Amino acid sequence: MLVLAAALLAGNLYVIAHLADEMRQGQIFRIIFFHVPAASAAMIGSAVALVASVLFLVTKNFKYDALAVSVTEVGLAFLAVNLVTGSIWARVIWGVWWAWDPRLTSALICWILYAGYLILRQALEEPTQRATFAAVYSIFAFTDVPIVYFSIRWWRTIHPQPVFFSKTGSFPAEWGRAFGLNMLAIFLLYAALTKIRLRQEETQREIDYLRRTVHAF
Amino acid sequence: MYMNAQLPAPVLALLLQADFDPIRDEIGRLQRNFQGLIWGFIAAWVILAGYILMLTMRERRIRREMERLKSMIEESEKK
Repeated sequence: MLVLAAALLAGNLYVIAHLADEMRQGQIFRIIFFHVPAASAAMIGSAVALVASVLFLVTKNFKYDALAVSVTEVGLAFLAVNLVTGSIWARVIWGVWWAWDPRLTSALICWILYAGYLILRQALEEPTQRATFAAVYSIFAFTDVPIVYFSIRWWRTIHPQPVFFSKTGSFPAEWGRAFGLNMLAIFLLYAALTKIRLRQEETQREIDYLRRTVHAF
Repeated sequence: MYMNAQLPAPVLALLLQADFDPIRDEIGRLQRNFQGLIWGFIAAWVILAGYILMLTMRERRIRREMERLKSMIEESEKK
């Protein structure tokens, strides 16, 4: 899955490079092919983390806790891609690296909240307490996600309005195909990395169990 | 003539000396635009590659720890 995603991304880079430039923005518009899919993947990941956290609180099954931490950690990397590419895009188009705009600020808060989730997990030793506190925190952190998504509709913002699923923007078919392919590649990459992280989390639990066994001798 | 009437002489002199070159400005804009795109792509790949490197290092650490614990348990059982 990881190889397939990397091959798709690398192959699509050639297609993206040969697309026509956007009329007003020129070449820089191509950042959208990474900026938006990275944000979409991170948002879907945070929704999965929410569901997994709720399921953990209901069932107390640690596999949901493992899933929540895995998707959150990978999502944090993708959200970082979104924020950094967005900042570079802003520097070229707006002339500034950063603006305290509702979309940008809420996305940054989202990143900080989920980084806090990982820090919280590091701070707690006892597995059940760690998983329970982290699940509650993850549910709280998710409240920022709809704010990030709707911020450009709710408030006046310099961030562009959505291109997809809206009346304000449009994307030529050729760009749409390349975008769809990149979206698929990035989602595949997200899934592959989550799978690896999930396996690590399960192995870590096994290690914790073995440590207790060693101490029991 | 109209500008002469509106602008003070020193400002007008400065404007006349100014080097307006729309083609050069456009080339500069396109270069900044392209550099921004390249930096954006590099940043995206570096962040993802950094994270994958982190995952790989963690994987190695976990495997080493697992082997160490298993050998410790085997030794304890032998005793």
